[in-house]
Amino acid sequence: MTSDLQTFVPRPDRPPPADSAGVAAWIRKNLFSDIPNALMTLLGAYIAFTVLSAVLNWALFNAVWSADTRRECLDAVGRAGACWPGVAIWFENLIYGLYPKDQVWRINVGFLALILWMVPLWIPRVTSKIGIGLSAVMLYPFLASYFFLGGDKGVVWTGLIALGLTGFVIVWATALTETLQAKTAGAWLIDALGRANAEEKMQTRIRLLAVLAIFLLACLAVWSVSFTEVRTRFWGGLFLTLVISGIGITFSLPAGIMLALGRRSNMPVIASLSTIFIELFRSVPLITILFMFNTMLPLFMPAGTEVNQLLRAIVAVCLFASAYMAEIIRGGLQAIPNGQYEAAHSLGLTYWQTTSQVVLPQALKIMIPAIVGNFIGLFKDTTLVSIIGLFDLMNMARAIGEDTNWLGLFIEPFFVVSLIYFVFCFAMSSYSIGLEKKLATGRDTG
Amino acid sequence: MTSIPELSDKTKQRGKLSRAIYDARIRSAIIQALTLFTVVALLFWLTRNTMINLQARNLSAGFGFLDVSAGFGIGFTLIPYKEGDTYLRVFAVGIMNTLLVAVVAIALSTVFGVLVGLARLSTNWIIAAVARSYVEIIRNTPLLLQIIAWYFGVFNLLPRPRQSMEITGGFVLNNRGFYLPGPVVEAGFTLWLGILAVSVIGAIALYIWAARRLERTGQSFPAILTGLGIVILVPLLAFLVLGSPLSWDMPELKGLNYVGGITVPPSFCALIVALSAYTSCFIAEIIRSGIQSVSKGQLEAAGALNLPANWTLRRVVMPQAMRVIIPPLISQYLNVTKNSSLAIAIGFPDLVSVWMNTSLNQSGRAIPIVAMTMGFYCAVSLSVSAVMNIYNKRVQLKER
Amino acid sequence: MKRILLTGAALAALNATPVFAQETLATVEERGILNCQVGLPTPGFYALAEDGTWSGMDVDLCRGVSAAIFGDPDKVEYQSVTSAVRFTALANAESDMLSRTTTWTAVRDTQLGLDFTTVNFYDGQGFLVPADSGITSALELDGGVICVLTGTTTELNLADYFRANEMSFTPVTNENVNVLVETYLGGGCDAYTNDKSGLAARRSAFPSPDEHILLPETVSKEPLGPVVRQGDDAWANLVRWVIFGMINAEELGVSSENVDEMATSTDPNIARLLGSEGNIGEGLGVKPTFMIDVIKMVGNYGELYEKHIGANTPIGIPREGTLNALWTEGGIIYAPPFR
Repeated sequence: MTSDLQTFVPRPDRPPPADSAGVAAWIRKNLFSDIPNALMTLLGAYIAFTVLSAVLNWALFNAVWSADTRRECLDAVGRAGACWPGVAIWFENLIYGLYPKDQVWRINVGFLALILWMVPLWIPRVTSKIGIGLSAVMLYPFLASYFFLGGDKGVVWTGLIALGLTGFVIVWATALTETLQAKTAGAWLIDALGRANAEEKMQTRIRLLAVLAIFLLACLAVWSVSFTEVRTRFWGGLFLTLVISGIGITFSLPAGIMLALGRRSNMPVIASLSTIFIELFRSVPLITILFMFNTMLPLFMPAGTEVNQLLRAIVAVCLFASAYMAEIIRGGLQAIPNGQYEAAHSLGLTYWQTTSQVVLPQALKIMIPAIVGNFIGLFKDTTLVSIIGLFDLMNMARAIGEDTNWLGLFIEPFFVVSLIYFVFCFAMSSYSIGLEKKLATGRDTG
Repeated sequence: MTSIPELSDKTKQRGKLSRAIYDARIRSAIIQALTLFTVVALLFWLTRNTMINLQARNLSAGFGFLDVSAGFGIGFTLIPYKEGDTYLRVFAVGIMNTLLVAVVAIALSTVFGVLVGLARLSTNWIIAAVARSYVEIIRNTPLLLQIIAWYFGVFNLLPRPRQSMEITGGFVLNNRGFYLPGPVVEAGFTLWLGILAVSVIGAIALYIWAARRLERTGQSFPAILTGLGIVILVPLLAFLVLGSPLSWDMPELKGLNYVGGITVPPSFCALIVALSAYTSCFIAEIIRSGIQSVSKGQLEAAGALNLPANWTLRRVVMPQAMRVIIPPLISQYLNVTKNSSLAIAIGFPDLVSVWMNTSLNQSGRAIPIVAMTMGFYCAVSLSVSAVMNIYNKRVQLKER
Repeated sequence: MKRILLTGAALAALNATPVFAQETLATVEERGILNCQVGLPTPGFYALAEDGTWSGMDVDLCRGVSAAIFGDPDKVEYQSVTSAVRFTALANAESDMLSRTTTWTAVRDTQLGLDFTTVNFYDGQGFLVPADSGITSALELDGGVICVLTGTTTELNLADYFRANEMSFTPVTNENVNVLVETYLGGGCDAYTNDKSGLAARRSAFPSPDEHILLPETVSKEPLGPVVRQGDDAWANLVRWVIFGMINAEELGVSSENVDEMATSTDPNIARLLGSEGNIGEGLGVKPTFMIDVIKMVGNYGELYEKHIGANTPIGIPREGTLNALWTEGGIIYAPPFR
């Protein structure tokens, strides 16, 4: 019986017509659909070709790759090709500034620690991502400060560095247990000790003890290593750029939230003070703020206070960035419908509960692309610290052209610096676009 | 505002004073008073330190140096300036130059930004791709580097004065600058200006009348076309009738350089191109997101009503897109003004370069100079944002 | 909590009496480091190598002062500061001395809270033009576009020179020499003006140096020397006499090579200089034999000159017959006697 049953086999799809598939069709459809389009295509291709060939000729085909002085380069190709050896010799300086060469590994380890700290954020099975992210922002700077600065550490600083180290250990412990066992490190520890059925208080006590133990071990570890001091005057290059913009963004997020809340507050004094601060710092160019802090901060302080140059630049960048961040956050806050506030209010939540539990989580989620954009802007803006004389990427590039052997080498270092900036900014903006798309899912995008 | 705390027995027992602390209004007053006190104390402390430090270091914070002769040359000035003029004059020159850069760059970047924004939405793959890579490359490199790149990559590579590119009618381009014929005012010019003003006012009046009539009767009138006709044709006729009350001073090669006419230095050109290119990327993105923010349903509805294409654009898409476009656009305009301070990198004499750098350097008066510079930028930004806030309030959707 | 702390700090500070660092020498000794302000790297005077070390004529003055105080020329920390903020940085006590080709002028000396110690290099402003332009004198530059470093006396001298000769010019300014040089090489200006010491060095780095000529005119006086804060005469004296010591050493034939033999010399002038007779160091707050350290570790004036900017260096400014020769050889490098 059943053997007679014919199964329905659909006939295979017919291939699309030859002129609507394949490379040729794509080209026809997208590039030469009509005459103006074809002209535009040719024009676009021509522009792309001219620019690319000029740059490639200079940077690659006509370039000099080995020479001892700029004179040798000039004698070989004149100015038709780039002179790379000078940049190559100084390349390490472009990245690390004047940081002592034998200590450079500390910078590498410091940034490696940050990357390792962030890795769990990309592991899908890790659940405490917010905690990890927050710890990276709050605790990592202490750890990094000692790697970068070194020197004598007092009791307090030792404690703080150990706190950073503790944070790092706990983050990875959590990441490991969550990936392998699908439970937090604390829960895993309690299970391992066989106290899963113990009282809540007992469990908390065990967790605290464990943290304390790690902290003490970390203190011991920190106490036993010591790095030589590298004063901030030797910091420079990409490293300095990253430090300034990193601190700027870390500081500006909480400060920006406070300012934005202040501006929307219904206490007139607070609202007007926040508004004045935000508008003042947003209305002047960063370069004037940097200038002011550089020349005038020492005047504002009591006589004899030494404020180092890097700190002045960082203070200026932080204040500037917080004013901008405040406006971004305010935009986010405004996007939260009134209904949310009213609902929270009707549940009897206090102002701070409403803000921290209901409004900010929603606002920050909307604002993430803008915050990343702000960070890119800040990263680019740090080029301005070169104008007050810090040896960031720009000034380091300039120093190459003042080296007696490479006197006048100017275009090449700038080309490399531009590339470095582009790679970083492009990576960040692509990440931000990806993030935007990911966050946009589930919302009506019509 | 704040919630009413659950009144436990403990709280009930507390006195009036402690209840006052929990009163939202009193608490808010206390917080504000404390904040105000802290801020005032901080400001007082800073000022006092500054005074003491200035005295101890034999520095003067006064404005007495403003009428001292500056003694240095400035490469490009809108108002007459000689080396022997005062610092105050230098300040004015700097302000004029900054404003000029801002205005020109804003105009160019808007035009270019709209074009690139539309190109990014183009169906031609290569155009969209070129537009996209343009935006990505320019947006992700610091402006400071771009200004330098334009200056050396383009304007410094132009031919030297003796091999200048002579574009017709007294327009000359070489690596010392862009030379234009300069207008020379002759008799009758004021009268012509009056006619121009009248025709512009007439065109505006016509537009208003047409708009009112449209509202009242629904009959349309091609006011923009007619208005343009009036603004162009009437002054043109008047110009011919009055016998060309304007003559042109042509630049010509004399000695080392071109003399006469208007000279635009290469640093200005590089700054304008770099600023416009940079800002146009951001504007392009703003325009693109603005247009994309208008939902498809609106277009379909307009189609269903059989509105002509240009009406759909003018009456349906643009008003809605503008609401999204305007606020970020304004902050871009303010950014242009602030970013023009990067002129210092190629030595265009804008306010920061000529005032906060050269003058500060030559006179050594850091405090008054930095204060005046910041004061100028604040004044510009605050007045623009004030105007824009008013506009913004008018176009924003009203929520409840 | 934070607010209370801040208020407390503000109130406490209001009552504190300010302390002025009049005693720069004591501060430096206590710190163990001399803070020396130089400019952005410039070959010959304050050059930066890729290993982060500074060298040059002006840098060696700081090393000399360090040697005088600590007996070690390398207890110096260099601050590289743009010319725009150099005087404020010094006045703000961020550095102990400024040693960076700074021209001594009346306004700077009297109105900015600064004190010029002495002159260690006499420079003068000149013009560089392309040889094929046919220009042979600065007086032919009427109507020209001139590239000039901003924020320096160079910029003022240029304007003065053209005004005095009733000529007009358009300045192309920048604070980065390399930008100006690129502009000039690209033909963006008719002439490039700077101190002649700088012009020679830059020209040697041009693609074809022979195609550019230095015009004969010297349009300004540029006495360059280290600067200290006003109001600490003892410190100014120390800096000044370290330089005078270096000049006297050259005059007396004491160099880094023979200073040990000379230490026992019976020539009273040398004996006083090297501290075996008299006690000049005491009045300066350093040990009597401080000049032995300075000369041994850094060198005498002539040695510095030949090492950093002399004819055999890439900078290549011959010394004979210029203002910077010793007064005994026709120049004006002249130091008051060590007695």
